[in-house]
Amino acid sequence: MEPPIVYYHRSEYIETDTGNKVSRKSVICGSQNIILGGKTIIQTDCVIRGDLRRTGGGHAVVVAIGRYCLLAKGSIIRPPYKTYKGTFSYYPMKIGDHVSIGEGSIVEAATIGSFVHIGKNCVIGRFAIIKDCCKIEDNTVIPPNTVVPSFSIYEGSPGVFVDELPECVQDLYELKTKDYYIKFQPKDS
Amino acid sequence: MNSLQTETRHIRPYVHYHCGCPDVNKPTTDLESEKEEETFDIDSPGIHFSTFPISKLYFCDDCHQIRCPRCVQEEIVCYYCPNCLFEVPTASVKSERNRCARNCFQCPICQNTLSVVASSEPQPTPSPISPTVPTVSATGAPYYLSCGVCRWDSQEIGMTFEKATGLALQLQKTEDERPDVKEFDHLKDQFEKHLRHNTPSTTLPSSLLSIPGMSGMNSFSSRYGNTGLAHSQQKSDDVEKYEAAVDKVEPENGLVDDLVHLTDVNQITTLTQRMNQLSDQPYKVERLQPQRIHLRTKRVKRCRSCRHILIKPEQKAQATRFKIKLVALKNIPKITIASLPKLILNQPTQIVLKFSNPLYEEISVDLTQEEIIIQEETTIQDDCGKPTLEKVTIGKVTILAPHFNITPYNEVLEYEEDLISSRRAAKADIGIYEKRGNSTSIILEITPLAEVEEFKFPLLVKYTSKNTENNENEGVTTEEKSSGETNSSKAITSDEIFADESNEVTKTLSFWTVIGLGNVIKAPTGTSGTTVKGPGSRTEPSGSKGSSSRGSNSANRSGTSSSKS
Repeated sequence: MEPPIVYYHRSEYIETDTGNKVSRKSVICGSQNIILGGKTIIQTDCVIRGDLRRTGGGHAVVVAIGRYCLLAKGSIIRPPYKTYKGTFSYYPMKIGDHVSIGEGSIVEAATIGSFVHIGKNCVIGRFAIIKDCCKIEDNTVIPPNTVVPSFSIYEGSPGVFVDELPECVQDLYELKTKDYYIKFQPKDS
Repeated sequence: MNSLQTETRHIRPYVHYHCGCPDVNKPTTDLESEKEEETFDIDSPGIHFSTFPISKLYFCDDCHQIRCPRCVQEEIVCYYCPNCLFEVPTASVKSERNRCARNCFQCPICQNTLSVVASSEPQPTPSPISPTVPTVSATGAPYYLSCGVCRWDSQEIGMTFEKATGLALQLQKTEDERPDVKEFDHLKDQFEKHLRHNTPSTTLPSSLLSIPGMSGMNSFSSRYGNTGLAHSQQKSDDVEKYEAAVDKVEPENGLVDDLVHLTDVNQITTLTQRMNQLSDQPYKVERLQPQRIHLRTKRVKRCRSCRHILIKPEQKAQATRFKIKLVALKNIPKITIASLPKLILNQPTQIVLKFSNPLYEEISVDLTQEEIIIQEETTIQDDCGKPTLEKVTIGKVTILAPHFNITPYNEVLEYEEDLISSRRAAKADIGIYEKRGNSTSIILEITPLAEVEEFKFPLLVKYTSKNTENNENEGVTTEEKSSGETNSSKAITSDEIFADESNEVTKTLSFWTVIGLGNVIKAPTGTSGTTVKGPGSRTEPSGSKGSSSRGSNSANRSGTSSSKS
């Protein structure tokens, strides 16, 4: 099924030089600590907490997001935290290219690879590592410190391995995210 | 919630490709198979096992045919732990019992991965949660396993560790002492000795030997096969009498009594928990042990017919690239449903099918039929109450443009393409909705004549591609000629390769697809909520409903395009 063209109100989104489309209705904290790779869409009511950075030290990248990513409505990106040797600290988060995060999902992972699809209403626990080419089904809870290996589908609460993804998933997700970006169009009304 | 989801997944429109699986279902007679090819029964119960979404299919270059997951052979190239992602050498997989031999454990309660935690106090006081725990926690070993999901920890069963690394090694001793492990090793010793003695030489590839039991297969077949039966019989006689190393494991004392007086369901293990601990399958929660995590594999996939490699992953556990990747997505035209209005009973509706060309050559597609009538056999009670088989026409599909070309795939174009602004000038071709980049969208007219839960129809797609450097106008004629020559008698996945004087090679391939369009509704006005449609239903060319008089295609097209802009 071909996805439909999604229209947005031109005044709602800011488009950067590199093609990122960021909603004015999203909450972006500590934007100087956030990197967007280009052609990434951040939709209405998203929250990215770039202000939660490592204690001490000067300028640091907290959230790095690659190209052609999609943060759907109401998703929350929050860097993971832990107390290590008695000191509480936040740790940076990295998200690869062609990653789509579904509506209402909360992500506190340490790393998310490229070509990853996260469904709606998921919770990705602290310091979870999601490798390249993975799919997290809707309403899945990935517990903290979980490693999701490449080419796997995780489902349930707690999320467990249910199936393998086909070999062409990389091409599939690349097409999908590019298609979504092209079809995410402004409309004056 | 879950059941609802699966329901919608079934109704969601789809395009599935058929794989004939020539090596799996060998046709009994040629006549029968030929008959089957021409009709392709979409209501047969086996349809779900022979049709797949394009992403699951492979394409054998050598056979020039579609291969489904049933038509490939797999060979393991690499074992790795899905948690620590360490690669396990094939030689040690067997001795480690196909599980991770490092620090990766599975929670016995919820099957989540456990993490190693250091006891916070250097001198742990006897913890209140585990009063029954024997000496081990009293000695105060500093590390234990803890589950982040269900809060289970290994101190509950008195399992603690001296070091934070090599946990499996620390547990090895207790594992080796388990009666089932002992017995298995004993059995293995007994038969390995015997097999080694009897087998002259292994002819199996070494990769197969790592699979438990496979090394024995060779001698087994030679012993019980037709050839050399008499020869090896005398050898097989000298199997020593087996004596069990361990006495029969007695069932837990008073288990039945405990089960009878059970008051809380949480006191006994669930089926999943028991099955995860296959060796003893305990009923009591206290006897559950954390299990080492099963290894995963990377596999080479070969075509069953010609043994050519279709998929070859890189050896490294973490690499996601492939050395060889022959997937259908990159080799055969991809069909997607571009627009799908609601299907209303007795009302002709136009849908748009988009054909994308992944090849670097122009292809011409031939859909062979112009009109498809879908019939279903149903049992109807007649007046006397006798059930009779009757054919009921469910619907009619008219293909307005059964022949069309698709321009080749172009990587550069992909970046320049601006989807919305480039309104393609109306083509003169009838029934072509749009031509853009490497895809052509065609219009199909659907007339549902019965109220069904899932309206689906078969579609035979035949396409011709040619391998030339200069594909000019002259090429088109030869190509069309060749596609006309491939008659429909050799319908399914037959291919012919034509090479004429000008060094042009034309390849023809045909395959069946099943296109599911969801349910048919009765109400003339599309009341929302009664139908469950995919996300694309919003792009429906709404103009088509009004102007859907058959034949006037140009009017329809203009109607659809105006509704979009």
